[in-house]
Amino acid sequence: MKYFIKRTGFMALTLFAVCALTFFLMNVIPGGTAELILKHTFVGLEESVTEEQLSQISSRYNLDDPLYLQFFRWIREAFVTGDIGTSYVFKKPVLYLLALRLPATIQLAGTSMALAAVAGVSLGIYSALQENRTSDHILRIITLFGVSMPGFWVALILILIFSLKLKLVPVLGYGSLENLLLPAAALSLHSAAAVMRVTRTSMLETLGQEYIRFAKAKGLPIWRIISRHAFKNAMLPVVTVIGFQMGSLLGGTVVIEKIFAWPGIGSLLVDSISARDLPVVQGCVLAIVTMFLLVNFLVDILYTRLDPRIRYG
Amino acid sequence: MKKKNYPLLILLVTLLSYAMLVTSGCSSTKGNETGEVVSEPNNTLVLGEMWDIESINPINGDGTLICEKAAITETLVGASEDFSLNPGLATSWKQLDENTWEFKLKNNVTFHDGSKMTAKDVKFTLEKVISENSKVASMLKVDSIEVVDNYTLKIKTKEINPILPGVLHYPDTAIISPSTYNEKGEFVKPVGTGPYKFESFDDQTRTLTVVKNENWWGGKVGLDKMIIKGIPDPNTRAMAIENGEVDFTVDVPYSETDRIDALDGINVEKFKTPRVYKLDLNLKHEPLEDVRVRQAMSYAINRSEIAENVLYNVGEAAAGPFLPTMVWANKSLKPYNQNLEKANELLTAAGWVDTDGDGIRDKDGKPLKLNFMTYSARPGLPPMAEAMAAQLKEAGIDVETEVMEMGSIDDRKEKGNWDLYLAAYNIAMVPDPEYILTNWYTTNGTDNTPGYSNPKVDSLITEARKITDLKERYKKFNDVEAIVYDEQPMIIVAYYGCAIVKKDSVKGYVFDPTAHDYRINADMYLEK
Repeated sequence: MKYFIKRTGFMALTLFAVCALTFFLMNVIPGGTAELILKHTFVGLEESVTEEQLSQISSRYNLDDPLYLQFFRWIREAFVTGDIGTSYVFKKPVLYLLALRLPATIQLAGTSMALAAVAGVSLGIYSALQENRTSDHILRIITLFGVSMPGFWVALILILIFSLKLKLVPVLGYGSLENLLLPAAALSLHSAAAVMRVTRTSMLETLGQEYIRFAKAKGLPIWRIISRHAFKNAMLPVVTVIGFQMGSLLGGTVVIEKIFAWPGIGSLLVDSISARDLPVVQGCVLAIVTMFLLVNFLVDILYTRLDPRIRYG
Repeated sequence: MKKKNYPLLILLVTLLSYAMLVTSGCSSTKGNETGEVVSEPNNTLVLGEMWDIESINPINGDGTLICEKAAITETLVGASEDFSLNPGLATSWKQLDENTWEFKLKNNVTFHDGSKMTAKDVKFTLEKVISENSKVASMLKVDSIEVVDNYTLKIKTKEINPILPGVLHYPDTAIISPSTYNEKGEFVKPVGTGPYKFESFDDQTRTLTVVKNENWWGGKVGLDKMIIKGIPDPNTRAMAIENGEVDFTVDVPYSETDRIDALDGINVEKFKTPRVYKLDLNLKHEPLEDVRVRQAMSYAINRSEIAENVLYNVGEAAAGPFLPTMVWANKSLKPYNQNLEKANELLTAAGWVDTDGDGIRDKDGKPLKLNFMTYSARPGLPPMAEAMAAQLKEAGIDVETEVMEMGSIDDRKEKGNWDLYLAAYNIAMVPDPEYILTNWYTTNGTDNTPGYSNPKVDSLITEARKITDLKERYKKFNDVEAIVYDEQPMIIVAYYGCAIVKKDSVKGYVFDPTAHDYRINADMYLEK
């Protein structure tokens, strides 16, 4: 329990640090904030802006105040009223935008993670059992491919094959299972490959242990050895990798969401950065970091269950 | 011990299946939505729009979408193919004195909320847009608006402003009903006078749906319904129309246009839009302040090759800042043809010769090396920059290209540490040459990135501003065009094109060259 409180405290601290960092970094990157907001909302990307317009926008969003004051105001609002700002571009409260967009990203990242975990672990075990046979080599080549191919390219190839050639699923859309399949598959490929590689290595190592040899000597069938004795011991590094993959999955959504016009926060974040839509950037970063922290918290708890020797003070 | 761990494995499995449940849950609730699209009456068009739809406020920067693409609102002033103005919601207008304009309105126009459009609504719209949209305000320069009678309006400007009618063609000035806002003054939905009525906007998928306005003053409307989806990725737009998920879209990757055109049931048409690919030269930097170097660069660039091989003919080699079809354009100007001999002569005369034989010209021991920045929001720009760099190298100019984010470009422009900047500028935000020529070429012009200054140009533009006779006015502007054609403070490379991709079943579409991206016309319909 004590550990739980301590951990939550750390998470809150991390969130605060991330917010502060995002806020100041956004103001450090080149280009005037007011100018870019104008270009993305009123005047068009290439058009020039007048002093008058700049001052109108600056005063509307208090952009001329010192940075620490702007940040302090944002933090105070967030704590006192729970309001984390209103988008300059969408002209809607950030919380409303997040509520709309977050489910789509959770859905996409969650499904991808499930796909990556299930496919990665089962193929990894299979590959370990088939060590150095043809099917193992084939699988390892496929994973090499999976780790090396950029997500956007895989996405386009998947659309080409499954939508245009086989006519199985639509290119675009959001809401139904068939819409989810391609983006989730494209997104999970990289993670599935990573999980599989770790599972294979870890499984091979475990299978070389003496207690496994003993179990074999006892005459236990192989599936029983795997499920009872090897699996749990081999899972420790795998769970770590799955936790870390959450980060790369959330990063991957940025590209995948753009390609599939998926209404998640990844595409929202990119657009908001180039438009200097600061409140939205803050909101998205906050949401993404929270998700990442939660998943890794979950992973740490899983550790103690997988390996009872691990105890958190 | 073993038993203790089973619940956790179950937990893991539950968590994984939760993700699945989330999705299947969604499929059961939202599945109908996609099903609905399929079972729509045949006369529903799905449009794949090129930008993400961020908001739908017609006066606050989304006018192009609401007025031109969704056809919900209409402007007071229209424009024909040659960019000359013609009546829109206003039937006629005249200048009463230097600063006063009188507009007569159509008397048979009703808003989608059923109320009649009167001068009062026009005043409401214009005042609202002036207070909320500083860009429009700075172009209109309005001092006061007076309602004379139900269908007559007097507009006083702060200073002489001949482009006022032109500005009223700008989509953000399209007329809206006061019921666009609620009692608290908050924006609700766009209520206009156009051929299509706002039906819904899905905040989550950012899909805008409009339906036919049965009582449109202009007569019959072609479609029953139009569903507008923002698809920001050009490759996805191409595959969406190939797979039949959209009926109409624009700007698939330029290299794909011919392949898609060859497909059964889909056609691609290429048009010129009022936008040019323009290379700004930093005249404050030594090699570029010499007019001979600038001319040589213009001669080194092979415009037609770029149009053909980089833009795949979505666009065309350009002579000056205006399309030759524009009524005010100087039609005697022809694009610079690539002429490396002439470029060599000019550069040699300017003192730039390759003395050390490394293929790059030099002068006083300094090589002719220039940096070249551009951005990627418009897909033609980065490959065009590469092609131009290669062509300039043939003439002995070493060019280093950089694709940057807009913020960094602004920063570099402000600090002055740039040489060349390639961008795609709109040339008819307002259908009048004054706006562009003033902003680009006058000494204090807001878009005069190169820092060009020529007293002759300044005085010609100032003189033209006071002339109301269009022919005389355009003559002055033609002279300006001829001067900047010779002096090349900016190298106009190509006219920006637009590829309209639509199914063969989409009939009656007419491209409007004065639109800011493209315009959906009321006559367009679907053939069963």
